[in-house]
Amino acid sequence: MLFSSIPFLYYFLPVVLILYFIVPKSGKNLVLFLSSLFFYGWGESRYVFLMLAVIGLGYVLGLLIEKYRGQKTGKQFLFLAVILDVSILGYFKYADFFIENFNMLTGLQVPLLKIALPIGISFFIFQILSYNIDVYRGNVEVQKNPLLLATYVAMFPQLIAGPIVRYVDVEKQLRTRKHSIELAAVGIRRFMIGLAKKVLIANALGECCAVFKTSSEKSVLFFWMYGIAFMLHIYFDFSGYSDMAIGLGKIFGFHFMENFNYPYISESITEFWRRWHISLGSWFRDYVYIPLGGNRVSKLRWIFNIIAVWFLTGFWHGAAWNFILWGIYFVLFLMIEKFFLMPYLSKAKFWNHIYVLFFVMISFMIFDAASLPEAMKNIVGLFGIGSEKLISTESVYYLRNYLVTFLIAIMAATPLPVKLYEKMQKISFGRKVIMVAEPMIMVAFLVIITAFLVDGSFNPFLYFRF
Amino acid sequence: MQEYSEKNTEKKGKSRDFILVAVMAGALLGLSFLCWGKQDDSFSESERRVLAKFPVFSMETVLEGEFMEKFETYSLDQFPFRDWFRGMKAIANYGLFQKKDNNDIYIVNGYLSKMEYPVQYQMLDYAASHMEKIYTTYLKPYNSKCYFSVVPDKNFFLAQENGYLSMEYEELFSYMTEKLHFTEYVDITGLLSLEDYYKTDTHWRQEKIIPVAEHLKDIMLKGEEVLSKTENYEVKKLDRPFYGVYYGQAALNVAPDELYYLSSPILENCKVTSYDTGKPVASVIYNMEKSKGQDAYELFLSGTSALQVIENPAISEERELLVFRDSFGSSLIPLLVDEYSKITVIDTRYVNSALLGNLVDFHGQDTLFLYSTLILNNSMSMR
Repeated sequence: MLFSSIPFLYYFLPVVLILYFIVPKSGKNLVLFLSSLFFYGWGESRYVFLMLAVIGLGYVLGLLIEKYRGQKTGKQFLFLAVILDVSILGYFKYADFFIENFNMLTGLQVPLLKIALPIGISFFIFQILSYNIDVYRGNVEVQKNPLLLATYVAMFPQLIAGPIVRYVDVEKQLRTRKHSIELAAVGIRRFMIGLAKKVLIANALGECCAVFKTSSEKSVLFFWMYGIAFMLHIYFDFSGYSDMAIGLGKIFGFHFMENFNYPYISESITEFWRRWHISLGSWFRDYVYIPLGGNRVSKLRWIFNIIAVWFLTGFWHGAAWNFILWGIYFVLFLMIEKFFLMPYLSKAKFWNHIYVLFFVMISFMIFDAASLPEAMKNIVGLFGIGSEKLISTESVYYLRNYLVTFLIAIMAATPLPVKLYEKMQKISFGRKVIMVAEPMIMVAFLVIITAFLVDGSFNPFLYFRF
Repeated sequence: MQEYSEKNTEKKGKSRDFILVAVMAGALLGLSFLCWGKQDDSFSESERRVLAKFPVFSMETVLEGEFMEKFETYSLDQFPFRDWFRGMKAIANYGLFQKKDNNDIYIVNGYLSKMEYPVQYQMLDYAASHMEKIYTTYLKPYNSKCYFSVVPDKNFFLAQENGYLSMEYEELFSYMTEKLHFTEYVDITGLLSLEDYYKTDTHWRQEKIIPVAEHLKDIMLKGEEVLSKTENYEVKKLDRPFYGVYYGQAALNVAPDELYYLSSPILENCKVTSYDTGKPVASVIYNMEKSKGQDAYELFLSGTSALQVIENPAISEERELLVFRDSFGSSLIPLLVDEYSKITVIDTRYVNSALLGNLVDFHGQDTLFLYSTLILNNSMSMR
């Protein structure tokens, strides 16, 4: 079930909210867990049991790891947990990729398994993995109550698209958490902003990308429009979903980590990755990069560590070579910046932004392509190679059609609107305006978003496949 | 003093949060109650389509995901005030986002139209091969004289000059005439203008296309005697507003059209027989019952029909015409009747052309292929 859908907004969410707030404190986790199972089952009824099995494994192994912590057996149980979780992920997500490549290399015809990818598997596997590792490290106490652990993993606000919530961050909140009007208001604001980002901006930009892909009249202008539209689309799509998750979390009394921090205002690729999909980046840093030795190793080993992390980051996004290339692509820039470019970037006040935006745009063109040749075709198309025209009637039409959406998206990708809101908060008149206007704007948002959903507009969600 | 001010601000902040939560909870729960409580509609008059019903709930449909998928559609179709919300989306797209179209529908000077772009050559090839097959099977053996005319859709007059995407019409016309080398092409584009079309519908207005009908007859009856030309039609107005197909699709509050139809003593005496069920059923040129339905344009020759025969008792000698047509033909064909004793009207979207030998007596009649650009560019429905 998508957050940005009528069944979620008007059938599922109101019922869950009513149940959640009328049951006593002791029953709230049960409501959250059962509603999360329903939420997951709505999209993947067959895989509910897989998720429960993963949780069960994580629970049992967590207890065993805790019991034997500090001993060799504890390490063996952790190893088992890692192997099992990675195997489950590998089987459901990567089996066909490996078979395809094996067939290509050997010329054999091993049949593909054609397994449907369980929604959100990359997210919940990473969560349970981090829990087991944290128990082993002694960062968290083992959770003896299976309901609490299951609620942590299955909690619907973050289940299928993150942020990748660490157990350590919600450990206390699972046991006891505060609910208040203030928190609910913060959550509603955040949820509505996320919903608007997704439905009003990301979907429109996604339409623009879809139009480009089906067009037979591609021009240089159209390639650029596509590149910019897709980089904005993926940001608003994913960050919108994260906003909704964080907002829902607040309503239910949880504080999830931030996942995006205006990545497109970065002055370097290094900074970009500190601002983009923060929960994934920090997960790889804490559970892969640092265990490999981080940067406290020889230069050669450090380079290997970096490559390994980015290879895995790319591969996590999808079982295809373009995702691996996408990950490795960033290694190149991170190295160049580390060894050479960083001092220049900090001085080049305007060009550093252009540099980041351009190369991030290229990266997302690789990310979005169905194949490597398609990625290459789209990238060289930016420079007029392979396209006959500089501009085409179609590209001009769609530029005019989506111009306002582009402008809104560009502005909303900066901290400008938030700064404006904060400035207004500081003055008495501003606060009065907000007090009156905010509920009206939020209701207007809800009405317009509902209108877009009711009319059955373009509404895919990119990160479902991860 | 500062402490008081901070406390006051904090208090106001709390009230602001309370108002926000109350308003949003009210809006969400209110709409939710309406969703749960609303009685299902079976048909959307504005969209002219059947709405999704509550899906079958069973273990099988749930496990297959079929229930959930159908419920998504159901929840959209049955959403309370659906048309109002669709209108809101159109207004937001045109006004807030300054989009030039909403679901490909655009509005210029009160005329609603749907973008048709680009020319789909595969579709043109399919249409051309379909017509050629009819020609070689039924017409060529009897040396029928064949004519071909294309009705330009509204975009021909509206799209390009207003910055909308449009087909390369000249390319379409020349491509089709080249493909249909066995026909004589009759160009009617110069006889038409935007005002000859309904504002809320795809079709042309019958009262405006007399010159088109006259031109077609002039070409097809070149050198033949004028038998009973109608000099003056009586213009009759439908007693209810006409909401065209784009009216519902656009979901905007635009004025409906007025629908006029042309009558004459010849037309009133014509005998129309419909063969949609395989058996002859008496019909009429203007079906007033149909005009009360979802699409008042179906007044003309009763709308969609596979095969109809119009006999004109005013002409005693045998002068027949076969018309292969789409819905644009419905309003034009009555204006051709005065010069023919019999017109056989065939729409191969509703009858398989392979069966025509059993249904129609082909014996060398003049034949007109009359299709709109919309059908030619989306010809897969021709059978």
